[in-house]
Amino acid sequence: MHIVVCAKQIPDPETPPSAFRIDAASNKVVPAQGIAPVLSQFDGIAAEAALRIKEANAGSKVTVISLGADSAAAAIKQVLAMGADEGVLLNDPAFEDGDSYTTAKTLAAAIKKLGDVDAVFCGRQAADWDMGQVGLLIAEELGWPVSIIAKGVTSGGAGLQVQRVLEDGYENVETPLPAVVTVSNEFGEPRYPKLPQIMAAAKKTVTQWKTEDLGLSAGEVGKAGSRLKLETLSLPPKGGAVELMPGDTPAEQAAALVAKLRADKIL
Amino acid sequence: MPDTTTAPPTPKQGRVAAWWGPAVGLSGLGFYAATTVPEGAAGRQIFFNVAQPWAVYVFLAALIGLMVYGFVHHARLWGLGRPTPGILSEIPHRFRNAMRLGLVQEKVRRDRYAGIMHWCIFSSIVVLTFVTAQVAVEGDTPIKFLHGTYYLIFSFYGDLFGLIGLVGVAMAINRRYFQDFHRIRWDEKIEDSLIIVGLGLVLISGFFVEAARILVTELTQHPDWAPWSFVAYVIAQGLTGFHMSEPTVLSIHVWSWWFHIASAFSWLALIVFTRLDHLFFAPINAFFLRTDSPGRLTKIEDIEQQEIFGVGYVQDFTWKQLFELDACVRCGRCTEVCPANIAGQPLSPMHLIQDLKMHLADVGPDLQTHRHQFGDAGREVAGMAMVGDVIKDETLWACRTCGACMQECPVMIEHVPTIVDMRRFLVMNEARIPATAQAALENLEVRGHPWRGTSLERTTWMDGLEEVPIFDGSQEYLYWVGCSGSLVERNLPVTKAVFRLLRESGASFGVLGQEETCNGDPARRLGNEYLYQILAQQLVETFKAKNVQRVITNCPHCFNTFKNEYPQFDGHFEVLHHTEFLDGALKKGTLKATFPIAADVTYHDSCYLGRYNDQYDAPRQIIEMVPGANLVEMQRNFSKGLCCGAGGGNMWQEEVGERRVNHVRAEEAVRTGASQVISNCPFCIQMFEDGVPAVHPEEEGRMRPFDVAELLEASVFGPK
Repeated sequence: MHIVVCAKQIPDPETPPSAFRIDAASNKVVPAQGIAPVLSQFDGIAAEAALRIKEANAGSKVTVISLGADSAAAAIKQVLAMGADEGVLLNDPAFEDGDSYTTAKTLAAAIKKLGDVDAVFCGRQAADWDMGQVGLLIAEELGWPVSIIAKGVTSGGAGLQVQRVLEDGYENVETPLPAVVTVSNEFGEPRYPKLPQIMAAAKKTVTQWKTEDLGLSAGEVGKAGSRLKLETLSLPPKGGAVELMPGDTPAEQAAALVAKLRADKIL
Repeated sequence: MPDTTTAPPTPKQGRVAAWWGPAVGLSGLGFYAATTVPEGAAGRQIFFNVAQPWAVYVFLAALIGLMVYGFVHHARLWGLGRPTPGILSEIPHRFRNAMRLGLVQEKVRRDRYAGIMHWCIFSSIVVLTFVTAQVAVEGDTPIKFLHGTYYLIFSFYGDLFGLIGLVGVAMAINRRYFQDFHRIRWDEKIEDSLIIVGLGLVLISGFFVEAARILVTELTQHPDWAPWSFVAYVIAQGLTGFHMSEPTVLSIHVWSWWFHIASAFSWLALIVFTRLDHLFFAPINAFFLRTDSPGRLTKIEDIEQQEIFGVGYVQDFTWKQLFELDACVRCGRCTEVCPANIAGQPLSPMHLIQDLKMHLADVGPDLQTHRHQFGDAGREVAGMAMVGDVIKDETLWACRTCGACMQECPVMIEHVPTIVDMRRFLVMNEARIPATAQAALENLEVRGHPWRGTSLERTTWMDGLEEVPIFDGSQEYLYWVGCSGSLVERNLPVTKAVFRLLRESGASFGVLGQEETCNGDPARRLGNEYLYQILAQQLVETFKAKNVQRVITNCPHCFNTFKNEYPQFDGHFEVLHHTEFLDGALKKGTLKATFPIAADVTYHDSCYLGRYNDQYDAPRQIIEMVPGANLVEMQRNFSKGLCCGAGGGNMWQEEVGERRVNHVRAEEAVRTGASQVISNCPFCIQMFEDGVPAVHPEEEGRMRPFDVAELLEASVFGPK
């Protein structure tokens, strides 16, 4: 089985709030100084899901694709170190500032170019913008079935057995191949790479494709092809207030607190 | 200071062992006697009443043969290990170690009772070996000296040390069987009884041989000589009460002689088969003991070229690491002081060493043939994995790398490097690692600090302070704040305190601010040597680029790494822990502790400042210079201090076992009745912040943890 994992490099979600800045003029997040971007954690989990299927099915292959600038090669290397076989970086200035639609369109073009792909695994959402669109839109572009927010994926039956997280439990679904699956954090932690694999990954070359390699035109990708327009970007207002509950004893204070929470319709 | 302070156990270095005074002196007297005393003076017939004295040499030859066999057998197993780098460097230092730790037995004496017992047995065996050798020389060489005054003195010290040996045996029997002393029975074997009882029989039978001889010779012929053999003399006097005929006494003599010889050689043969081999292995292991700082772990050279990372199979240990398995005497001292073991967690250093020793004996012979046939390619010969099956993962993770085991080990086994070597295999080769420790390592890789989820920045602590100077190479000191000092809320006041005190002292210093990254200590202790080397190399380069010469650290872990480990990466800096600098400033008078802090305080030695770097005094002296502060020591202190529980990467692990180490230590601190527990390490403080409320749930009157710098800050600047 050949599985493609889509991996995105994002600004570190653990950037301290005090170091998080926005440039109002360009409506962009200013990369925090000295804080390196990271692999979106849901994508690491998707890679873990793909690698487990690879290990259970001899002769399988995992390819990791990322759309991003030169630095995104680090995210690819990370998944290669976990055990993926090949990496492709979609790296073109024309791809910049796209939306979920152009991202999915570009990724889908790369998957089509790879040709023999049986499944595409994405994180349930990228941990920066949290849109959760790209997986679905890739399926749309490819015309494949999609199972989202999986807590378990195994090969079997018609293709894949997927456990999908619901609000009050989960459901088991079976999907024929080829298919797209988005994987959730309930799946579990990604593996810690073994050093021999880290070293092997460091030696691997990452294939780079540009717009023309994918048979796309500059107008279809990046900002030019976007359907979503960002109006303004701003930080949530900071602030807080403290209200001390009246009462002489902890019991009275607790009662006052409950009354207040009820009055505010929080309880 | 009131005398609540327990004096540190300071082994007197280089003190001449008590036993060689008499032994060497008396032997010298023997040679004097040999040349001056005329024939016909006091003396005795060698091999009196024994028809086949040559039998002794048959026994001796058999013993030597057995020992050679035993040695070759062991040596072939040690030979499975890898080369030991630097093992023959600094030979004079190594000889000093062999004398100090092997012959003088400084470590044995850390347990007083055992020290006396062991000295009795040890000195008795050494002196009686001398005695026996002199008899052999007198009897079977042309050199004659056992007569006259020297013969009498010879008789006296022979008996004296025989008696001393019996005292030692009695102490051993008392401790093992009557006191039921816990730690020596944790891994008891039949050989232990054989060794003690056997030695007792050898000594007693020796006295009977002597007594029977005296009874039929000296007692009647030279009654003035007889009392010199004072023990045998008393026994002979007792035997006269039985009114035995001379042939009966002669028969008792010959039978006890044979018994004595047979039991003595059998006992010596135990050296080959039992832990009695420590007789040789302990001093040799002292010779092999590392000569550099114990705070330095081995560097894996050319790490990218290795075919295996760390130690997963016995043959990946160095031969020295295999050798020291054989030195272990199962005394349990390591396990007794191990913080994990004290808290009921799954680690006993003694059992770990013993399990490795058994495993080596199990797979060693197969491995020899195997390697002969196939080389090193197929590592595993038994179905059982050394790391995972013989030594459980959880055992390796429970280690705090606190070094207490190595500090106490009387035969100088180095447990911590061996444990870390196996962790390296787990982490780098197998990627088997507790989830929370993995998160810390990943955080180190990605963010350059181990504190996942912190919302602080490396400069947050500067808020509210006047301008903090950034180090630019022009200042004398780099003040190294460290990840905990800048990214953990509780440790920020310590950083501020050190900063204010440095500034007050007029020191020329600067900080790196956002440019600080982890020095790699947690990665190295957790077993990720590769990540450690990357972090260390980067930082050494940063230091060099910024022309850093002198560093003051907040944290004893950073301190140890810079001081002891960075020289492995060609980073040579003068490193001070903040307590060392502040102590110096107080003594020079550039800092003055004026405001009284009226409080009983107790002091907790961090492992990496205390045991690993031998700095017990500076922090205590600061406390003593704070007016009003009264230092109350905990029972475990100085080199016997108990780890807070966070070392060796356990700050980032879930503890497995009955209790948490920090609860145990917090209890010990609370028991002093002090209102503050003072430490010098951000991890220790965090562990106490968690541990003290757990063992003392009442908020009222609860002890509070502080850093030495916080205490001093309050005394220098007054209440905030």
